[in-house]
Amino acid sequence: MKKSGLAGVNAGRKWRLTSEDLWGYAFIAVAMIVFCVFTVYPVISAFFTSFEEYKPLGSTFVALENYKTTFKSDLFYKSIRNTLVYTVFTVPLSLCVSFIVAIMILPFKKKVQSLFKSLYYLPAVASGVALSVVWLWIYDPLPTGLLNSLLAKFGIDNINWLGSSNTAMFSLILMALLAGHGTQIIIYLAALLGVPNSFFEAADLDGATFLQKLWYIVIPLVKPTTLFLLVTGIIGSFQVFMNAYMMTGGGPDNATTMVGLLIFNNAFKYSDYGLACAQALVLTVVIAAVSLLQFKLMGEDVEY
Amino acid sequence: MSGLYSQHLNRPWMRTVRNVLIALVLICLAVATLFPIYYMIVSSFGAPVEAGGASYSLFPTKLTLDSYKFFFDFSPYSARWLLNSLVVGVITVLGNVLFASLAGYAFAKIRFKGKRVLFFSLLCAMMIPYQVTQVPLYMLMVNQLHLDNTYAALVAPTFVTAYNVFLCKQFMSSLPTEIIECAKIEGCNQFQIYVKIILPLSKTVLAVMAILTFMNSWNNFFWPFLMTSKDYMQTIQVGLKNFKFANTTYFAPMMAGATISALPMFILFFSLQKYFLEGVTIGAVKG
Amino acid sequence: MKKLLAMTLALALAASALTACGGGSGTSGSASGAGSAAASASATASDAPDTITMLLPPVSSTYQDQLSVWAEEFNEMYPNLTLEFENASWEDYKEKLDVQVNAGTPPDIAFVEYDRVGTLADSGLLVDISELISEEQLADFDESALEFYRLEDGLYGLPIYISVQCLGGNRAMMEEAGIDWQSVQQNGWTFEEFREAIKAGATDDHYGFIFACAGVTAADYLNIMVKNAGMPAPFDEDLKFAYTSQNFLELLKCLREIIDDGSTPEEMSSVDAGKRWNMFLTGQTMIFGKGLANFEGLAAENNAKLEANDGTAVEDSIEADYIVLPVPTFFGEPQQAQGSAGGYGMFRTVDEPDPVHQANVMKALYFMASGEPAAFTCNELYLSGLSESSRTAMAAIENEVPRSEDNAAAMALLTEQAAPARPDIPAELTAQATRLMDEVIVPKFQALLAGETTPEEMYEAVREAAIETFGEDGIVVD
Repeated sequence: MKKSGLAGVNAGRKWRLTSEDLWGYAFIAVAMIVFCVFTVYPVISAFFTSFEEYKPLGSTFVALENYKTTFKSDLFYKSIRNTLVYTVFTVPLSLCVSFIVAIMILPFKKKVQSLFKSLYYLPAVASGVALSVVWLWIYDPLPTGLLNSLLAKFGIDNINWLGSSNTAMFSLILMALLAGHGTQIIIYLAALLGVPNSFFEAADLDGATFLQKLWYIVIPLVKPTTLFLLVTGIIGSFQVFMNAYMMTGGGPDNATTMVGLLIFNNAFKYSDYGLACAQALVLTVVIAAVSLLQFKLMGEDVEY
Repeated sequence: MSGLYSQHLNRPWMRTVRNVLIALVLICLAVATLFPIYYMIVSSFGAPVEAGGASYSLFPTKLTLDSYKFFFDFSPYSARWLLNSLVVGVITVLGNVLFASLAGYAFAKIRFKGKRVLFFSLLCAMMIPYQVTQVPLYMLMVNQLHLDNTYAALVAPTFVTAYNVFLCKQFMSSLPTEIIECAKIEGCNQFQIYVKIILPLSKTVLAVMAILTFMNSWNNFFWPFLMTSKDYMQTIQVGLKNFKFANTTYFAPMMAGATISALPMFILFFSLQKYFLEGVTIGAVKG
Repeated sequence: MKKLLAMTLALALAASALTACGGGSGTSGSASGAGSAAASASATASDAPDTITMLLPPVSSTYQDQLSVWAEEFNEMYPNLTLEFENASWEDYKEKLDVQVNAGTPPDIAFVEYDRVGTLADSGLLVDISELISEEQLADFDESALEFYRLEDGLYGLPIYISVQCLGGNRAMMEEAGIDWQSVQQNGWTFEEFREAIKAGATDDHYGFIFACAGVTAADYLNIMVKNAGMPAPFDEDLKFAYTSQNFLELLKCLREIIDDGSTPEEMSSVDAGKRWNMFLTGQTMIFGKGLANFEGLAAENNAKLEANDGTAVEDSIEADYIVLPVPTFFGEPQQAQGSAGGYGMFRTVDEPDPVHQANVMKALYFMASGEPAAFTCNELYLSGLSESSRTAMAAIENEVPRSEDNAAAMALLTEQAAPARPDIPAELTAQATRLMDEVIVPKFQALLAGETTPEEMYEAVREAAIETFGEDGIVVD
């Protein structure tokens, strides 16, 4: 009896929209419309293009040719590997640094907090291209270069930063670490400021140490934010190509060729738009899988 | 001030020592972070000579504003570009603050059918590299809707972004569900809950979102570049970059350009500071 | 009640969003519809007003300022026609043009570098103008220059300049190193002579030779050298891929030798274009590449500033006279400088082209590529005109830039010796070679310069990739 009653309720729920459903749809309506027009439509279009040899005046259907080319290309695998290396080093590290910095900013008065926040945020505000040029100067390969002349004072040999495949990737990672955490610090701070003081007061009464409070209160409470930063960080990192494009052009010996750069080159440089679409869709599947995994690993106790 | 740190009530000097130490670490890190910016600004005071910029003195040997002048001399549209950027930025921020927070709240706290699927597809939207969506979007905007050179085209694709919906959703999912339940019991509908409870509690994140969105909109180059062919519809980034010293060997003017276009952001950021430094105390709201 | 409210809200939100989009599109859509109807109605009358849109990079230093002047001149010649310009930086204009071409709605005219002709013609939107151009217009241009824009039987644009790739040298340093630069300008030099010269020229203060090889510019270095090693194009006469010949391997060895000699630093692999020019001005290198014709003027300008001593010269720069130098020749092969042409191309959209509009665009295309506009651009670039009308106009330019006779003669000689354009190479092969160049050859070459691979290893990698692309029969074997 009870069982069938439940089933009846479930069946009813399937067909009838509750007020809760309607509120949900109402609230997401605008976002979904924008999303459908400006994302779903282009993606569907890209999906069809990925089966074509694209020509503006009439494409030819080539079935899976573009995908075959993609999976046969050593360079594609190499670029995926480069992108993974770049992601593994930049995203978690930069997340940790941002979290620690945000925690360190907390004990100060508001004025000082703002000051530090602004300082760390400045690089995010400035134009990426101009900053790339500055970084090119920093990484100037000759002994008179900024970083090289600094290191020479400590007796370190001249390094061909962007020109050697041993250091090129490291140079890009270092640049990302130093230039990229402004946004993350701000978002972390917003989350940290949302942690109610009463939690700490209660913990204080229990005689909790700083690390205990951090571990048992702060980290679980900012977990949704961490998940957000992790997922968006990885998505961003997988698509990164501006750095490689500006700084190394993917070299030397394709040591810094990222998937993003490869797709960019196919779409724009070689006008092989069908291939670019195929590679982009493969990349999307990879990112989606990685993101799902993160949600599974991190998100179990986060309502999702 | 956060209760995370011990107040050292009995030994105030400890607190001072601790804060000084932390400040020192923060300052060191900040110096490393800011070095490129410092260098950018310093070089912007160089003379507008081709290939003249790559000198490695940490302190400017000579200061000249020529590179800045070089900048303002050239176009009758400079003011218009600033205005365009402002209009686009403000509309984009309003759209996102309003609709991304609504959607974020729905995804975080309202139970409705298809929620997970819709949310994950929204997330997938962020994963598509822009290089491939650019062409179909361009065709939609220009060939079909004929919206090139309009504000609508500049604003529409970022009117509500998946990134912001996700940000709101993550933030709002950490708000205690009990408050919402209480409000429901007291007879509030979802819209009232959103306006009276969720919005005030989300001030911080909405302020952060506003500033990030504005900055992205301000710094966005490629889309406005694609959508505008008329000088008077360009944004400041497009206008500046299309200027002849886009030739990257004119270092000083390029740095001056970067400094100028970042300036409004600096100002906005400083003036909005207080809004997103206010911690939200749920207790107070409850009371 | 609640439900009703929710639904109304949902509808209101959706409706407002829809009208926001739909309203805008509706009005502008109908407006443009009316516009095009009017245009087609009056299409029979060729003096109907028409606007010609152009997408242009900053071709020469004051080119963009001059555009409005030309627009007025053109409008005086053809009162019914208006030129509309859109400016963008070099990188950005290419990207925008590519998006527009892929989307099927490029502007009427865009700047097109000769090496993009294949790709753009392949899209079907770059118009073959051989049917549109009049006899006299065609006769105005040098046939050898037009070759750069020919592809098989079609003509896909009009050139305004050809710039020959060369090296640049610091006169005082070369004289100090005992190099007879005038003889080199007149007779060229072999790689062995070049190698000795830069060895002699390398001192504690400066390098003998530097070439900007950072990132993608490494391709430039290889490209200009390979021309003088008996491979004027990536494909030989029989359309076989040339870079698998033994000469290519020997060339790689030579280029590595000058690094091992210490005449040029290994770090050259990440010296960028701006840096190499700065190194010349500040006396850090005797010879550098690539050289550009207008460097002579820039060097002279800086020298004048140094003399005036008003602090506006480039920091730490020294007085330096710029000398045009030919690229050395390898293995007794002839001097064949790489010429690269720039010009304008005409585009159509996916819609069926309107003959009246195309005729108007042709007028604008010819106007921009010849006469005063072309002369002005060439003059600023220190290059000579490619058409009779532009040379005539050039003679009339009052503030013609002062040029050293030696350099002008050297440039003229190099232009004469330039490797001819190869319109017989199909676009398909060119596209494959470009990709091979970018994905295998240049990356390996960067590694070679940085000392991470040997010439033999690189040659093997290139050969393997070439076989994969063109097949065993598609490559040169010797």
